[in-house]
Amino acid sequence: MKIKDGFILREVAGNYIVVAVGNAVKDFNGVITLNETGSFLWKKLEKGATEEELKTALLEEYDVTEEIATRDIGLFVKKLTDAGLVK
Amino acid sequence: MPRYKIADVVFDAKLIYGYTEKLCKKYEYDGDEPVKFVAEVTQEDIKAEQVLAEEFPPAYLESLALFRKLCNYCLKNANGIVFHSSAIAVDGNAYLFTAPSGTGKSTHSRLWRELLGDRAFMVNDDKPMVRYEDGAFYVYGTPWNGKHRLDTNCKVKIKAICAISQAKENSIRKATTAEMLITILNQTIRPQDQEDMDKLLKLIEKMLTEVELYKLGCNISREAAELSYKTMSGDNL
Repeated sequence: MKIKDGFILREVAGNYIVVAVGNAVKDFNGVITLNETGSFLWKKLEKGATEEELKTALLEEYDVTEEIATRDIGLFVKKLTDAGLVK
Repeated sequence: MPRYKIADVVFDAKLIYGYTEKLCKKYEYDGDEPVKFVAEVTQEDIKAEQVLAEEFPPAYLESLALFRKLCNYCLKNANGIVFHSSAIAVDGNAYLFTAPSGTGKSTHSRLWRELLGDRAFMVNDDKPMVRYEDGAFYVYGTPWNGKHRLDTNCKVKIKAICAISQAKENSIRKATTAEMLITILNQTIRPQDQEDMDKLLKLIEKMLTEVELYKLGCNISREAAELSYKTMSGDNL
């Protein structure tokens, strides 16, 4: 799973947002806000990662149980998929 | 070919219809400053505007196309962005009220003029230009001035930006950068080009840290204007 071209994550005054540029603007004209964990997962997905790899990375980086990590990643990936941001 | 100076940018305009020339009359320029660019509005530009706002006549769409070219130039070359807002100046400070169309930003700035009389004047009631120059943000009047046709050909230092929403009771508080970031992004033109997008985000970041940010819930009353003016200006009237 990988973030589609044209969706860029930026930090603006301490806030994480995703906006579309180039041809992606035709499909998505909004602004997405992410928290720190969201931006952490997003950066992994920019390079391409499976849900399993995301979970391993999250467990390494954050003090969180496997159960919660699995749930949160599932929700995050579903949101990205529904919004058409990943391929 | 008419020559204009808007937001301190001198440019020539190649236009098709008379409407835009009339609209920009107050901003005609015959001074010695160098011309920064030529804005040529083509039928293709007008068609592109039509896709975004189809119910308007071509002459009006031409004025929007010219505006887009100016905004594009300002973002690329002049640290400038359009900020959809009602910008009012009081005692040399500018206050920008922003909100989705129909919320009441023009109404609120009118209440300020009623409250403050001659001390207040409109910089622009709809699409002012904002520029970052020498460490400060300034707002400029433009001819794209909204349905009440309110603008002044001027430049005023920005003191505060205020996001407005309708409310029964009046209340005001400082806005967070997170809230205002989304507000500003939704009330400006977002470029497609990635380099331009990064310029825009850098400018907005500066704005969020250097300008005072407020959130106002208000009804239509003198009390609403008093509350927002006193809070943002620090002046007790």
